[in-house]
Order: sequence, then structure tokens, then C-alpha cells
Amino acid sequence: MKFLLRLFCALACSLTLSHAFAAEDETPRQTLARAILAENAATKRTILGSLVGRADEEVGELLVAWRQDALFIYTTPDNTRIPVRLIGPADAAGTHAAVRVIDGEPLTDAAGAPLRLDKGDLESVDHNANLRRAMKAVLDLIDLGAALPAKRIQAIKTIGQSQDAEKLPAIQARLEIETDKNAIVALREARALIMLKSAKDEDRLEALRELKEVHTLSSTDFIKGALSDAQRRNHTQLTNAARAALNAVDLHRAKVDFFGTLFRSLSLGSILLIVALGLAITFGLMGVINMAHGEMIAIGAYTTYVVQNIFGSGLALSPFGISLSLPGINSSGWVYQSYFIVALPLSFLCAAFVGILLERSVIQFLYRRPLESLLATWGVSLILQQILRLTFGANNVQVSSPIYLSGNWTVNDILFGWNRVFVICFAGLIVFGVYLVLTRTSLGLLIRAVMQNRGMAACMGVRTTRVNMLTFGLGSGLAGLAGAFLSQIGNVGPSLGQSYIVDSFMVVVVGGVGNLVGTVISGLGIGSLDQFIQQYSPALASAFATVPFVGGFLQNLAQDSAVFGKILVLCGIILFLQWRPAGLFVTRTRSLD
Amino acid sequence: MNDSSSSSRARLEIIAIAVIATLLIVVIPVLNAQGVISNFHLNLWGKYLCYALLAISVDLLWGHTGLLSLGQALFFALGGYMHGMYLMRMIGDLGQHKQPIPDFLVFLGWTKLPAFWEPFDSFGFALAMVFVLPGIVALIFGFLAFRSRIKGVYFSILTQALTYAGALIFFRNNTLMGGNNGFTDFKFILGFDFRDPATPRWLFIATAVTLLLVFLGCRWLHTTKFGLVQRAVRDGENRVLFSGYASAHYKLFVFVLAAIIAAVGGALYVPQVGIINPSEMTPDKSLEAVVWVAVGGRATLIGPIIGAISVNALKSWATRAIPDLWLVLLGGLFILVVLFLPGGLVSLPKRLAPLWQKFRRPSAPAAESAGKAAKQ
Amino acid sequence: MITKFGKLLGVGALALGALLGTARAADTVKVGVLHSLSGTMAISETSLRDVLLFTFDEINAAGGIKVGGKSYKIEPVVVDGASNWPLFAEKAKQLLEQDKVAVTFGCWTSVSRKSVLPVFEKNNGLLFYPVQYEGEEESQNVAYTAEAVNQQATPAVDYLLEQGYTKFYLLGSDYVYPQTTNLVLLEYLLSKGVPIENIGGGFRKDESGKIISAGKYTPFGHTDYQQIVAEIKQFAAGGGAAVISTLNGDTNVPFFKEYAASGLTADTCPVVSFSISEDEFRGLPADQLVGQLGCWTYFQSINTPANKKFVSDFKAWLAKSTVPGIVKEGRVTCSPMVLSYNGVYLWKAAVEKAGTFDVDAVREAWKSGISFDGPAGKVTTQPNMHLTKNVYIGETKSDGQFKILQSFDNVYGEPWLKGKFK
Repeated sequence: MKFLLRLFCALACSLTLSHAFAAEDETPRQTLARAILAENAATKRTILGSLVGRADEEVGELLVAWRQDALFIYTTPDNTRIPVRLIGPADAAGTHAAVRVIDGEPLTDAAGAPLRLDKGDLESVDHNANLRRAMKAVLDLIDLGAALPAKRIQAIKTIGQSQDAEKLPAIQARLEIETDKNAIVALREARALIMLKSAKDEDRLEALRELKEVHTLSSTDFIKGALSDAQRRNHTQLTNAARAALNAVDLHRAKVDFFGTLFRSLSLGSILLIVALGLAITFGLMGVINMAHGEMIAIGAYTTYVVQNIFGSGLALSPFGISLSLPGINSSGWVYQSYFIVALPLSFLCAAFVGILLERSVIQFLYRRPLESLLATWGVSLILQQILRLTFGANNVQVSSPIYLSGNWTVNDILFGWNRVFVICFAGLIVFGVYLVLTRTSLGLLIRAVMQNRGMAACMGVRTTRVNMLTFGLGSGLAGLAGAFLSQIGNVGPSLGQSYIVDSFMVVVVGGVGNLVGTVISGLGIGSLDQFIQQYSPALASAFATVPFVGGFLQNLAQDSAVFGKILVLCGIILFLQWRPAGLFVTRTRSLD
Repeated sequence: MNDSSSSSRARLEIIAIAVIATLLIVVIPVLNAQGVISNFHLNLWGKYLCYALLAISVDLLWGHTGLLSLGQALFFALGGYMHGMYLMRMIGDLGQHKQPIPDFLVFLGWTKLPAFWEPFDSFGFALAMVFVLPGIVALIFGFLAFRSRIKGVYFSILTQALTYAGALIFFRNNTLMGGNNGFTDFKFILGFDFRDPATPRWLFIATAVTLLLVFLGCRWLHTTKFGLVQRAVRDGENRVLFSGYASAHYKLFVFVLAAIIAAVGGALYVPQVGIINPSEMTPDKSLEAVVWVAVGGRATLIGPIIGAISVNALKSWATRAIPDLWLVLLGGLFILVVLFLPGGLVSLPKRLAPLWQKFRRPSAPAAESAGKAAKQ
Repeated sequence: MITKFGKLLGVGALALGALLGTARAADTVKVGVLHSLSGTMAISETSLRDVLLFTFDEINAAGGIKVGGKSYKIEPVVVDGASNWPLFAEKAKQLLEQDKVAVTFGCWTSVSRKSVLPVFEKNNGLLFYPVQYEGEEESQNVAYTAEAVNQQATPAVDYLLEQGYTKFYLLGSDYVYPQTTNLVLLEYLLSKGVPIENIGGGFRKDESGKIISAGKYTPFGHTDYQQIVAEIKQFAAGGGAAVISTLNGDTNVPFFKEYAASGLTADTCPVVSFSISEDEFRGLPADQLVGQLGCWTYFQSINTPANKKFVSDFKAWLAKSTVPGIVKEGRVTCSPMVLSYNGVYLWKAAVEKAGTFDVDAVREAWKSGISFDGPAGKVTTQPNMHLTKNVYIGETKSDGQFKILQSFDNVYGEPWLKGKFK
């Protein structure tokens, strides 16, 4: 019985195998078509496997289309299933032109006229993680020759990590013609990783030397593996070589960590600066403790969301049971991508408008009672939160990043996210803009005059109520602008502002109330402190254990680096104010009380 | 004339206090034992009275000393946590895991009690810690803050930061204080079973007595020279300094005292609501307490109590009746009170008195003067 | 004479009124709904309120609950826990002691469940809890329709191991569910032969060197994931790595935005998340998440007539609903919603089987094993107050839905897992 079963299995296996490799002379396209039509995922995978090394750019494109769900199966009236790819834009009836996967020719009906197909009528071609991995193996070898270096490097890395000796010649061949610096490093690493698997010790030694030279982060695990292997075999030379390679990698890692942290500090600092800048005006200049500052940020973020939807397919809202639908302009491509540029000024204006309303209705009565402005604005913040919740739903809403804000730029393993670079640049621009407004315009002059001495300014004929209104509007508008940025890196929901309110106040207080330069420095300083503590506290955890009494507690705390960073920053601020009670930059005044 | 009227007013006040105190300490518990007042409402009122203690502590600082502290929720929660540690130990091995250490420690893979938990088996120690720990935190923070003359808005924001830092620490599971879940599922207090309806009744009585004592204590403090300096600090700190008073010492004392009052409130709060967790020490909770004081009436001692009870009663009602809009209602109330009723609910009779007089005797000039007198 | 007659009339009217009153009261049964409709958790819990009201309407329209030859209509009592845990306890007391509800459906977070648990035990109430949770609990007063750790986390890890992943980075929000799940997963991974140096995120040990906590934790509402993503990028540089994320709803957005910006993708290092369902997905940048994994006992994309009917009925109900504050557009269904829905029907079945609303009798009926064919297939009650149900693994698509990759049928809900995998 058992024997029979085994025989059956063997037969079945050989059958699928022979089927998979049946036609040696078929074109890669034909193989692909066969894979698409195959019964189950396992067979598809086997067939795809046979494509490795044989596929060309054309098949590569088709595979990418498969992964992006752009391949379909068309069933002819006589029930023949034909894999097709839909191309070109949809016409009025929603149909596309179709080409056959098997030969790249347009799909025609029995009479030979080209057919146009609707996606909805077709069977889509599925894929799962396993299939995608099989496709990737095919694509990687194609990608070795890809025009984009980034694509090439990714392919090289995957090949290297597979440590498949069969692919060594392909790597070697590419290395001879490669010109891109980063790709050469990746190729050297891949070659060394494959050689590390070699049975010969001298090959491994050579590989380890090479890995020391290139000291890539991705090779760490492999070197560690080689090290423990060498130690087990008591092979001194290999052990030493592995150690040396590991040290080189660790040194490199330390550099990457340090400069990476520096960049992250700058980016977090910029975010803190952007969210605090509006507050630096409403609280710092005007003395209003605006607890609704966070909600102004949320309004800016929601404006971005609305603008995005108007550029897209429109938006239907149901605030307080009223149905409200905003039509969309259904744009796509670059027009759609530019929604963010349009959203920036609009978020400023919306938040400024709400801010002015708030100033007129509530805050103007409270200039002499700053502590009570805290309570009233907190009430406002509760109301605004609930209004946002009732309008847009309690759920977070989805704001997508435009193409120019997603992706990154990696130099020497240090990551520069484009959204982060953008935030840093814009923080600089906004600060500069606010500086210009305050110091180079007549409005700025009036603002400074009114904020220094409201009564005196009024005596000189300044319309203080108007200036108050505009100043508060400016502060709120800046908060709205911050919201637009935050929509790119965090979530957009009714309680968005709450996450930033404590931080914003800290930045303004440390900087010195009423001082823009102070706000800039404190924002960046707090950002860096937080990031450096986060990066290095786990490593220093054991050092904390030596502190008397609370040592164990600190050691334990230091391992949760994200919390530890925040707590140390807060403690740092309390201690800092011991040294400079009025913040970094003190506005000097002769008045008492 | 003036003397006798103020003394008659004082007598009236004492009578009012005595009546309310008897009502809270004797009448309500008796009615509860008779089944007239449900356990649910008794428990609810017990909670409100704890909040009233918190409100008094805020008022002591803000109303009487001019320090708007947004850190009172931290002290309230710390007091609650200290008492909670004792209550957790009293669960014994009746928890979900049937082990002699609290459930959340079993969760985290502990098999024996961490050292700092051990003394909390004793009620006396826990009670002492209710006073000591918040006191020490307030002492250290207050010393640093007042030494460098941090005041006004700065003080508010710094205390807010302190609360925030505290909440972050307690939110961590590895602080071994229950993390986000905090302490819950209490079984016994001093040997009494929580399921026995008499236990919440006695807790209610204890809360009412504490509130009365704190109220009387603060009232007495108000009449002393200390109270005078306290108010002077509020109204013109520099002048106090120039008159040779070390205002920092006064402020430090009040700050520590207020922290302890809040902590006692928290310690009474925990067994009654049956849970303490770090969301009780977020800056929002402090702000809420400040709002109670503002709504009730700042610097009046009775105002905070009225404010705490009325706002929370409103909240209890609104979260059931209009779940979608209660935040709008609450927020609107704060704004209206701040804008139109700076004296809070307590000032309402005085504000309405002239209207009432006018309504009763529209043409009598006496009404005007009576109204004026009332205003003064 | 007149007075006497008047008295008589009064008594008669009173009696009649009482009779009518009881008759009317007998026709309805009060059911509590205890979710946060405001505050931080409203983001997730409002949907559960919606689906519960829909289910009640559906049952009422079909004739209500039949007990002792009578039909009872469900009368919901909706209260707001406001994401405030002591308030949850207060509201639970109110529902049980004042409103005298027969059953309560509610809670999302572990802490809200823990805070109401003593109230339900004291009053012998019954709570239906619908959200994946950490286990290590088995109250007689809670019906756990939720996923236990072995109905979500361990099947997901099985799937990853099967796919050939060798390195796992544990990341979570710092609360009980992630902490416990990660400890269980650590044991599970070690028992499957994954070496400890291949498990990332860090460990905390007690004095004796025993691991008491595994993984990287961030506080609620954390917004800055730069450093953690940089660490994951280094962890995954050598390939074969996956992230197991128990981050809660809100923090997922900054995490995934950072993740995508760093160039990590589902192909290079997939993230399997246990707290992102279709509902949370609505606030996430879907195009940046394509191919990431999820594991639940229900997906909206389940292709069965029962599920299609459920989804379309719910949407039709939403369209004509007049509940204030309800969001009608772009709604989806997700696992906690279906578990709430199943819960109501299981309770109905238990009540009808017991022939009374009495909690003890209903509990006994539950323990005897009741089945219900819900949108996600058959669910069966277990004696340990949990549910046997099907588990699905799915990967995210750009339209915010999950494509089902694998399913495990009839997985037994086991709350006590720690120390099981050695």
C-alpha cells in the first residue's frame, strides 16, 4: 500500500515536472502565458521558476503588470481562455485595448477586428506572496541589467542574499561592466556572500576580506554566521577574518547611526518648530494660552484631506445628519499630485479664518485674564474636536503622500526621506517668512507695537482690535500649515492636535516667550535631545544601573527608548528652567507684576 | 452693624455647613441602608465627593495663592496608586491567575513580588505613602520651581509637563504598576468585602468626613496670618517679597499641602470606582479639575465643591442622554462660565439678586441699594 | 357616593395601567451598549455601536427573541464610555443596577474590560466582548466572542514560517495585549526553532536573567517612528525578515508612512499587523501598504452569500439610519464588527435555548455549545466562554480590502497560552 502510494506520488511529481519543463523551445512569453493559465499556485510557481535566466525585458514588464493586477484572462465565446494585458486609457464605455500575453499581438475577435475589453467583465489574474517571490527571482536577473541603479542594486542584493552559487557568473559578468559606484559595492558584496557559502576555506577567507572592505550593513548576519561556524571548527584564521569584517561593519554602523540620528534630530526639530511656531505667536506674542492650538493644526490637516478629495473623486460628508457632497474634479497624474501645493495656502486660510472667529467671539474678552483664556480655549478645543468627529467621522481619514514626498535618498546607508527633507526646508522657509512679516512689514510693526503695550499703541491711533485679530489669525494659520505637513507623516483624526499640544508649549517656553529665534533653537534642541536619547539609551541602560536607589528603575526605563526620550526631555526642560527661568531668550522689561 | 451682620452671616454659614455635613455623613448613608437611595447613586456621589477634594486642592493653589497648577491630577492619581497597591495585595490569590502576586505581574512573567511592592501588604504603610510620596514629589518639584521664581503661565505649563511625564512613566508596563490597565478587580479593604453593600457605605462616610475636615481646615487656614500672606502672594507677589516675606516658602508649603489633599482624594477615589490607571494623571484631568473650580467659583472653598459635583453630575447625565453632543455641551459651558460668570455658580445668587429685587419691586429705589450692598 | 365611585374608578384605572404597563414591558428586553463614542477610542468603537444597532433592528424586524411563547423586541440602551475607564465602570453599574439590562455588548480596550469586570461579577451580569485580546482571563460573566491569541497571532506566525521567513521583529504599543502576545510569540518562535538572536526589538530580563518582556514598545499616540524604522531597516538588511506588529490603531499611520518612506516594502520585509482591520484601514495610506499582512477571523472580502448579504444589509441599514452622528459614507465591515454581530445572535440563541433571560441559565446554554452560521462561517461556543471560529490570513490591497491567502478552520479559542510552548 505504502509502496503504491509512493509510486503514485513520484509519478505525479514527474508528471508536473515534465509538464513544467515540457517545451524547451517555447518562448518566455509562452511560458508566462502557460503559468497564468496553470491550475494552482504551486504549478504556477514551478513554471515561473523555469523562467529564471531566460526572461527578457518584455517578460519583465509583463510580470510587473501581473503584480500590479493589470493582467486578465479573456474567455472567448468558444470557452478558450486567453491571458491578456489591457493597455492604453479607458474610452467612454470604460473599455481598453488588449494585447495577448502569449505573443504581444492585439487581441482580435473571430473576424480579425481588434477587441476592446472592460476590466469588470474579465477574470483577473491572482498572485500571492509565494508567486511574487518566484516572479521576483525572475525579475532580479532581468533587473541586473535595469537602467535605474536603485532597481539594479535591489536585484543584486536579493541575489547575493540567496547565496546561490549558480548566479555567481551573472554577478561576475555584471561587475565587469558596472559603472555605478553603489552598484559596484552591492555586486562585490553579493559576490562575497555567494563565495562565503563555498566549501573551500580560502574562498571564504577571501570573501570575508572582501566583506571587510565593503563593510555593508546587510552582510552582518552572514558574517556572524560565518564567525560562529569558524569558532565551532576552531579555525583561527577564519575566526580572525570574520572578526575583522564584523568590526569594520560595526564601525560603519556607528557612523550611520550617528549621522542618521543627526538628520532625524533635524527633522523632528523642524516638526516641533512648525507646530510651535503658531503658538509662539498666539501665546508668545499675544499671551493667550491657546489650548485650541492643537485643533487649529487638525483643521489644517482636514483641509488637506478635503482638497485631496476634491482633486480626486469628491467627498460626501454627513455633518449633524445633513448630507453634504463635494464634487471632485477627478484629476489624475501630475494635476492630482499637485493637490498638496494647493492645500498648503488653503489650510493656512481655513485655520486663520477659524482663528479669527475664535478671537472675535471668545478671546478678545480675555486679554487681561490669560489663565482664564486657558479654560475657555480648552472648552473651544473640546467643541472643535467633537465637531470634527461629527463631520468627518471618528475614524482617521486617509491622506496619501504625493509622489514627490514619498521615497528617499540613501547616501552611504544614511536615509534621507523626502518628506523629511521637505519638512526641514519648509520649516526654514516659514520661519524666514514669519521673520520678514514681523520685521519688514507695516503689519509686523503694528503687531510688535500692540503686543508690547496694547494701551500705548491704542493711544497712538493703532486699531488694536484689528491688529489683535490679524495676529491671532496669523498664529492660527501657521498652526493650520503645520497640520498640512503633519498629514504627510502622521494620522489625520479628530484628536490629532492633542498629540502635539504639550510639545508645542514646551518649545515656546524653553525658547523664551515672545522670541522667534528662541523658538527655533529650542525646537531643534528638544528634537535632537529626544532623538539622541532614543538612539543611545538602550546601549547606556546598564550604565544607569549604577545610580543609587533608582538605578534598577532607570535601567528598566532606559530600555523603552521612545518613552525614555520623552521623559528625559521633560525633566531636562524642568532643570533647564532652573538655569534660565524665562527661557533661552528673555524679553527684557522694567515692569514688575 | 457691620460686625453683627458678619457674625450673623458666619453663624448662618456654620449652620449650613452643619446641615450639609449631617446630610452627607448621616442621612444619606442611613437612607441607603434603608434602600431609599440606591447603591449606584451612593457610589456615584462618593466619587463626586472625591472629585470635590481634588477641586479644593486646585482652589487652594489657584484661588487662594494664584498658582494655576495643572499637576493636581498627578498627585490625585499617585495617592490612588499608593492605596491601590495595598488593595492589590489584598486580592491575595483570588485573581484570574490564582497566584499570590497581582495578575499583571504574572502577565509580565514575574513569579515573585518585586521588592518595592512588599511593604504595601500593610495598610498603615500604604496610608503613610499616600501622604509621603505625593508630598515628596511636590516638595522637590515645588522647591525647584519656586526657587527659580517660575510663576504664572510658566508654572502651569511646567506642572502640565510634570503630569505628562508621570503619565508616560505609569503607562509603561515595565514600571510594574499595571501599565495602561492600572489596578482593578479589588476584593477586600481592611478585611471587608467590596461586594458587601456596607463597605461602599462606609467608604462614602469616610469620604464625606474627610471632605468636611479638609474643608474646615482650609477655612481655618484662610483666617490665619498664613492665609493672609497666601492671598497677598496671589495679589502682588513682589510687594510681599519687598515686605520681607520669603514667598517661596509659603508657596512651597501650600503646594505640598494641596498635593496631599489631592492624594487623599485619590486614595478614597480608588476603592469607590474600583480602578486606577494612568489616564487619571493626564494633563486633561488636571484641566478638568480646574474647570470645576472655575464653574463653581474660584477662591470660595465652597465653590470648588459645588463645581466638582455639578459638572460631574452633568457629565454622568449627558454621557447617557446625549452621547454624541455632551462634549460640545461641556465645552460650551466652560466658555460661557469664563466669559459671563467669572465668579462661578457661587456668584449666581449675588448676580441675580438685583434682578430679583427689580422683579419684586420694580420701582423701589431701595432695591438698587440692596443690590449694591450685595455686590460689595 | 361620588367619592367612593371615584376611588373605585381610580383603583380600576391604576390596575389597568399596571396591567398595560407590564404587558408593554414584557414585550421588550433592555440590552446595554457600552462603547466609547467620544475620546481617543471613539475611532474604533463607534463602528461597533453602529453594527449592534443594525443587528438589533434586524432581529426586531424578524420578530424579536422568542422566549416562553412570547416575542421580545430588543430595546437598546446606548451609553458613552468616553474612553474614560472609571466612567466605563460607572456606566456598567448604571446599566446593571439602574437600567437592569439583560445583557451588555461592549468594551474595546483591555483596560475598559478590566474596569467593568468587577461590576459584572458583582451584579452577575453578562458582557459580550468582541475585540482580539491577550487572553489570560476566563470570567464567568464575560462571553469572549473575541479572538484569543491562538486565533490570530500564532496562525500568522505559522504562515510566516511556512513562507520561509527566519527573522522576526516584535513591535507593539505598550499595553497588556502586545506585551502578552509578544511573550507568547517569543515562546512559540523559540519552540519552532527560531534562534533568539533572530528575534528583534529587545528583551527585558528580571534579576535572575529570565525574559519578562520581549519587543519594542511605544506609548499610545506616539508619532515619531524614525528611529525605530531605521532600526528595522538594519534588522532587515540581511533579508528573510518580517515585522510582527501589535501597534494599536492610531500609531499605525505614522509608522507605516515612515516605513514606506524608508524604502521597506512588503516584498523586502512584510509587516503582519494584528490591530489593523478594514475599519482602521480607512485612515491609512492604502497605496503604501499593499501586500502587508493581516490576520483575523473575518474579512469583508470573504466570498460567501452569507457575507455578501450581511455587508449589503448593513450598508442599506446605514443609508436609512437616523442615529445622530452616524457616518454613512465609505463604510466597511471588519472582524470586531462581525464578532459583535455574531455575539448578539449567539446570545439570542442562548436565551431561546434557555427559555429565559436569566444570566445563569443563558450561561449554561452558552456552555452547552451553540452554533451560529455568521458572515465568516460557523462559530461555536465553548465551555470556557470563548468561541471556536475560522481564522483567515490576508494581505492588503490598494482598495483597503484584504485578499485572503490562507484559512484555518474551526480553531479552538484558548485563553491560557503562556508557558504552553516549550
